[in-house]
Amino acid sequence: MIHSIAQKEFISTLRDTRFVVLSALVLALLLAATLVGRASYRTLQQERQLAQGTVNEQFRNQPARHPHRVAHYGSFAFRPKSGLSLLDSGVDSFTGSAVYLEAHQQNSVNFSAAQQSGSLLRFGEMTVAFVLQLLVPLLIIFLCFGAFTQERETGTLKLLLSQGLTMRQVAWGKIRGYGQAVALVVAPTLLLAAALLFAGEEFASDLDLAARLGLFVVSYAVYFFLFVVGAVVVSARQTSSRAALVTLLGFWILSGIILPKATANLGASLFPASTKAQMDADVHEEAQHGLNGHDPQDKRAAALKADLLKKYGVDSEEKLPVSVAGLQMAAGEEYSSKVYQQHFAALNATYERQNRLSDWAGLLNPYQAIRPLSMGLAGSDFAHYVHFQQAAEAYRYSLVQRLNGLQASMGYGDKERRLDASTWRELPVFAYQTPGLGWALPQLLLPIVALLLWAGLLSWLGLRLIAKTSVA
Amino acid sequence: MRIFWILFSYEWRHFRAAKGLVLLCGLLLLTGLYGIYYGTTEIERQRQHLAALPELTRRNVAELQEKFPGPADAGDIGYYHSRFAVHHPDAWAALSLGLRDVNPSYVKLRLLGLQNQLYAADNTNPMKMLSGNFDLAFVLVYLLPLLIIALSFNLLSSEREEGILVLLLAQPVRPADVVGAKLIFRMSLVLGLALLLSVVGMLWAGVPADGRVLTWLLLTVLYCLFWFGVALVVTALQRPSAVNAVALLGVWLLLVMLVPSLLNLAVAAARPVPQGIELTIKQREEIHAGWDRPKTETMNRFFALYPQWRDTATIRERFVWRWYYAFQHLGDLAVAPQAAAYARGLQQRYDLVEQLNLLSPAINAQSSLNALAGTDLPTHLAFQRSATRYHDSLRAFYYPFLFRKVEFTHDDYAREPTHTFTSRPELATTYRGLTKLLLSVAAVYGLGMVLLRARPINPR
Repeated sequence: MIHSIAQKEFISTLRDTRFVVLSALVLALLLAATLVGRASYRTLQQERQLAQGTVNEQFRNQPARHPHRVAHYGSFAFRPKSGLSLLDSGVDSFTGSAVYLEAHQQNSVNFSAAQQSGSLLRFGEMTVAFVLQLLVPLLIIFLCFGAFTQERETGTLKLLLSQGLTMRQVAWGKIRGYGQAVALVVAPTLLLAAALLFAGEEFASDLDLAARLGLFVVSYAVYFFLFVVGAVVVSARQTSSRAALVTLLGFWILSGIILPKATANLGASLFPASTKAQMDADVHEEAQHGLNGHDPQDKRAAALKADLLKKYGVDSEEKLPVSVAGLQMAAGEEYSSKVYQQHFAALNATYERQNRLSDWAGLLNPYQAIRPLSMGLAGSDFAHYVHFQQAAEAYRYSLVQRLNGLQASMGYGDKERRLDASTWRELPVFAYQTPGLGWALPQLLLPIVALLLWAGLLSWLGLRLIAKTSVA
Repeated sequence: MRIFWILFSYEWRHFRAAKGLVLLCGLLLLTGLYGIYYGTTEIERQRQHLAALPELTRRNVAELQEKFPGPADAGDIGYYHSRFAVHHPDAWAALSLGLRDVNPSYVKLRLLGLQNQLYAADNTNPMKMLSGNFDLAFVLVYLLPLLIIALSFNLLSSEREEGILVLLLAQPVRPADVVGAKLIFRMSLVLGLALLLSVVGMLWAGVPADGRVLTWLLLTVLYCLFWFGVALVVTALQRPSAVNAVALLGVWLLLVMLVPSLLNLAVAAARPVPQGIELTIKQREEIHAGWDRPKTETMNRFFALYPQWRDTATIRERFVWRWYYAFQHLGDLAVAPQAAAYARGLQQRYDLVEQLNLLSPAINAQSSLNALAGTDLPTHLAFQRSATRYHDSLRAFYYPFLFRKVEFTHDDYAREPTHTFTSRPELATTYRGLTKLLLSVAAVYGLGMVLLRARPINPR
């Protein structure tokens, strides 16, 4: 019986021209967004690979130079786009794509798409995730708002129940029928996305990506499921179609537009972060004077030199086999990097506290559960971005320290000499690997739990409510 | 006229009786107040951040004065001394934050090459930027249309569905009066709310009482009228309430979400911005090649641009600051075409959006409000130009020290050029926006009138 109700809802949905037009529109948008996402993924990835290749080549083909000059010449780290970012570009448009890596200082990640798009980007980005997260639920609302109210208004609900069915069974039948209709709209896109992802040679046989895509699909299935259930429940509880529609649309606006903004801004107000200028100045000051503020750099430098003289048992700098300047650079870099890392970690902790508010709101608002989950799986969330920043900083530090080591090994009077051009070819170039699903999943526990709670509670509580609803 | 007032006063009684609508209006008022609160605190926070910068410069100078107690080589000072070019917000920015969160509001400048300093981003939380600002402009542009839709999706249809319309039209009342009274009642309500919020916002943000007040109010009124016009068109189609709600929400979705995001894609494809990163890479190559080039070659290129320093001493030392700064500057000049192309690319994108925003009054209203508040892209580009001029004036200040070998004393810190830049409104853009909004309003009301004429109101 449930099956035939599902069948009836599915078929009558397909017969409803308004719904077919709307679905066709959503499907077209989804397919277009997939193709556009793929194209922009390709262009960006190629641009960044090309740029990374160029700077790596430039680095390896430097003329004979003093190592510290090379440390200042530095390098660039480009953030590769993650495979699934073609479905959900997450915060990618707001993070910038490249960071300049040089001695003594840690630069910001510059040139974000948001800076280049003017105000338009703020209205929302046409990505698959945008359509899936906001437009498909709207489609579901339009599809399901009359599920019970219409039956009641036309008097068919009583007829149905006189067949010996319970309200609960009718509800399940409707949920199944609508679920099939939604799947019909969404499935082609996800299939196309999968085909695009795995047909391209750059991703072929990538298990991690397949797992991410699988979870991505499952998450959205749960998300749509709870919207279908929610809409059916609201429809059963409201007296008229109009009231059901208005209630559902109100919820959509609140959850999709107002709450995400409000929580993000509230988080930023509650946990203010420092500016880059302030942070750089603080790092500089601490690195200069030491954490206790009693140890100016000159004194430390003199102590380092005295230690070296003692260690090698010589009485003057000229007789040392190592360059004091090089070792000083290394010690300074080690210290200032440590200080920077502390400040950087504190800053990110502040940002995470800001974002945590939004994540917890996921318990109240399914949109704020699917959004972090979706971009986390797509590798385009804040955590993945920080992972890249840290990888770039780790590379910068190791590169500069290697160069400082080279300088130290040149011995006294290194400033007058240069190292051979072939030296630079032996240094490793920056290569970044997006972390795997195993790394990403633990951080997505809260949204996963929130989504499952929503789905579970809604089907349990909602259907209990439906069962208790009066028929008339 | 008397009939109109009777209808109007009955609408008021109906409205007061409908708890849901009163609640909705109250909710919008509260979100509006939160938007104003958030916008003003955000701008206040930016002001505080900017106000802390002179202190950082003072600390930097104090450190240098300690490091160089006597007269110093100006080259050292130029290298270690950092100051800030600062983009102060206008009071209006609190009501429409625009791009002030995406673009940095200050640039830290040393005497080195400008280009790799000019684009440095500030610390930002990308998640917050993704969610966007909750300012008054957001409430007016996004949420107010929703209130209008909620108030007028069943303008006539509910009366018809409840069977009241038949009774009403049986009285000596023209259908146009009914529609007019209902529409004007809702308009006065929403416009009252919007104007109240705007005035509260203006007082809260402390904007100067100039012509911009009127422009803002006019923009708000026209934008509201546009949405009432859409409601009128949908009413004139005389469909059931549920269909009206879906249609109105569809229009909202189209104009507020779909058209902007599709336009963003189209504009990005039509006006590709030259990659900023190419510029920085090229500048790095130029600057670092400066170390390896013969010094006379560098200096001759520099003297060709600045002949006034040609008669200075020939460089024989292994390292000297004036040579160092000369090749830093030449590095900037080498990428001047790229830098200009980058800024031009951004401006062209902006201009194209300006031309196309007739497609969506929402984009038009948003960009007009941003332009009015001086928080849009052109203002940021103007700030970058201003920062560039400041860098020029710093170089001009240091060159005599460097080339004439004048020593830099403690007094000279205070003689350094300073920088100040405050957002200026793009009034021309705002007025164009106003005109286009007027056109959109005329178009929807024209359509509504034609539809009402063509199909007399059917009471059943």
